[in-house]
Amino acid sequence: MSDRQDTWVKNRSGEWNELAALLGQHRAWHRFPAPTIARAAGLYRSVSADLMHARSSGYTPDLIAFLDGIAARAHAALYSAPPYRLGAVIDLLARDFPRTVRRHGRFVAFAALLFVVPGLVGFIGSVRSPRFATQILPEATAEQMRESYAHDPGEGRTGDDNAFMAGFYVNNNIGIAFRCFATGILFGLGSVFFLVYNGLTIGTVAGFVQSAGYGRNLLTFIAGHGAFELTAIVISGAAGLVMGYALVSTGGLTRFGSLRARARDVAHLVLGVVIMLAIAACLEGFWSPSHAPRRVKLAVASLLWLGVIAYLGFAGRSGRAANPGTGAGSGAARVPLPTRHAK
Amino acid sequence: MGPAHDDPLDNTADVETPERIRFRYHVAGPVRRALAYLIDLAIRLVVLLTTAALTTGIGGMKASRGLWLVLLFVLDWGYGVLFESLWNGQTPGKRALGLRVVKDGGYPVGFIDAFLRNLLRAADFLPAGYVLGLLSMAGDRSFRRIGDRVAGTMVVIETGSAIDAAITLVPPATPAELAEIPHRPPVRPEEIDAIELFLRRPRLSAPRARELAEIIAPVLAARMNLRAGDPVRFLGLLHQRALGLRGAAPRGSAP
Repeated sequence: MSDRQDTWVKNRSGEWNELAALLGQHRAWHRFPAPTIARAAGLYRSVSADLMHARSSGYTPDLIAFLDGIAARAHAALYSAPPYRLGAVIDLLARDFPRTVRRHGRFVAFAALLFVVPGLVGFIGSVRSPRFATQILPEATAEQMRESYAHDPGEGRTGDDNAFMAGFYVNNNIGIAFRCFATGILFGLGSVFFLVYNGLTIGTVAGFVQSAGYGRNLLTFIAGHGAFELTAIVISGAAGLVMGYALVSTGGLTRFGSLRARARDVAHLVLGVVIMLAIAACLEGFWSPSHAPRRVKLAVASLLWLGVIAYLGFAGRSGRAANPGTGAGSGAARVPLPTRHAK
Repeated sequence: MGPAHDDPLDNTADVETPERIRFRYHVAGPVRRALAYLIDLAIRLVVLLTTAALTTGIGGMKASRGLWLVLLFVLDWGYGVLFESLWNGQTPGKRALGLRVVKDGGYPVGFIDAFLRNLLRAADFLPAGYVLGLLSMAGDRSFRRIGDRVAGTMVVIETGSAIDAAITLVPPATPAELAEIPHRPPVRPEEIDAIELFLRRPRLSAPRARELAEIIAPVLAARMNLRAGDPVRFLGLLHQRALGLRGAAPRGSAP
């Protein structure tokens, strides 16, 4: 029984303090010089052993808590996340995003319906009766819309205005898409609400402007960036619906387990949406209000729509089936195996 | 695992590492996390205000406002994602309070995890002021908000606590004092453990320590036909004697 706590602490605390000092630097361990890395890893192992020893010897809680804390911090440093690669973005765009969109095609189609049908209702309603639009839109908004599309939206705008509007769209539209996605956690209801609400609003505005006689201005303006923006909002809604559905149809898992199993897919969808909306914001800020002739704009818009559809429909289709790593279930309990970096 | 570890009173999460070491994380509760959030919020505000002050007048007025809006967006949605994925699960606020986001198994968070848990803040925030998030935390052993549950993460406390001071007798035990107590004192190991816990209470005031010691010291002393002079000191001596030390010098004077 000579090996009691205090003697032991005195003997061992040198290594503990050494490890604590390394951890206090808040540096990723792979940036240390090689001998330090080896030393740090050795220290971690011996602290882990000390923790087991302290626990089995029944040492006091403060000591065990101290060792627990230091071992946990060392564990976090030793097993830190894999380094980030730019290639991952390319993989996402070239493969993962369009594939995931197709894999959840039914959700995307359903989200599109939830967006387009209220849009049509709003459009037809407000073309038929001006009262309809003012029921849905605040009076001031409606008036502002009529004003802004009374002439070509690009008229009188400077590069300065464009930069401001691009910033505004980034902030506003990506925010809307994120909320549309995130509220899908409420069994999909939030996404349904945001899809219907945005569809209805956009449709009503379009109908209202149309009935005021400026429909062509509006069409020319939104057709280009709409290819990215409207699709992206639909996809983010679809991502929310995927989450909501995962909560309902769990396939034998717990509700959140089923959600976690689809977490990777959902993240891929939303990451793709972010990129699409960033493109949309640039187009909306700089191209859509430009002074290019109407025909050019409409032609470019058709090309963009075709491009987006072709991209979502065909990109990443290779001879072989989708790699198994992105399938359902891979989101749960991912162990950071080194295979991800292996070239 | 030792005995009596079945279901601890505190909210902890056991983690088993590839080395088959188990350690215990203390899970961070809502208050600590809210404080970290407030620190981060303050940092974001300061950044926004200073950039607003610095960029007004540079370039076109409107262009700088556009840039500012982009910054607002990035800070709003990207702050947590960037810091948590680059700083291994910590934002400045979390680091200040010794918190870290980890995966459920104790593994580090990756970009996708950080992205999901921070995007779903929008859901946790509903209907206002993180009410849903709090409800979700209240119903979970690991205090996970909705974003954590989807991403499979939790927030743990990792402040390194300090070790209590070693047990010392002041003044050090004299050989005569120790000799009074039998070489193998008739006390059970659990009793020694209890005495040890008592002796490691540095914050106990001297009168209270004496009061407590007076309860037990006479009982133990009677077993050995002794009289406990100073009960606290008696317990200290008894502890030292019971630990054996193979007849070595008293521990208080060890180098």
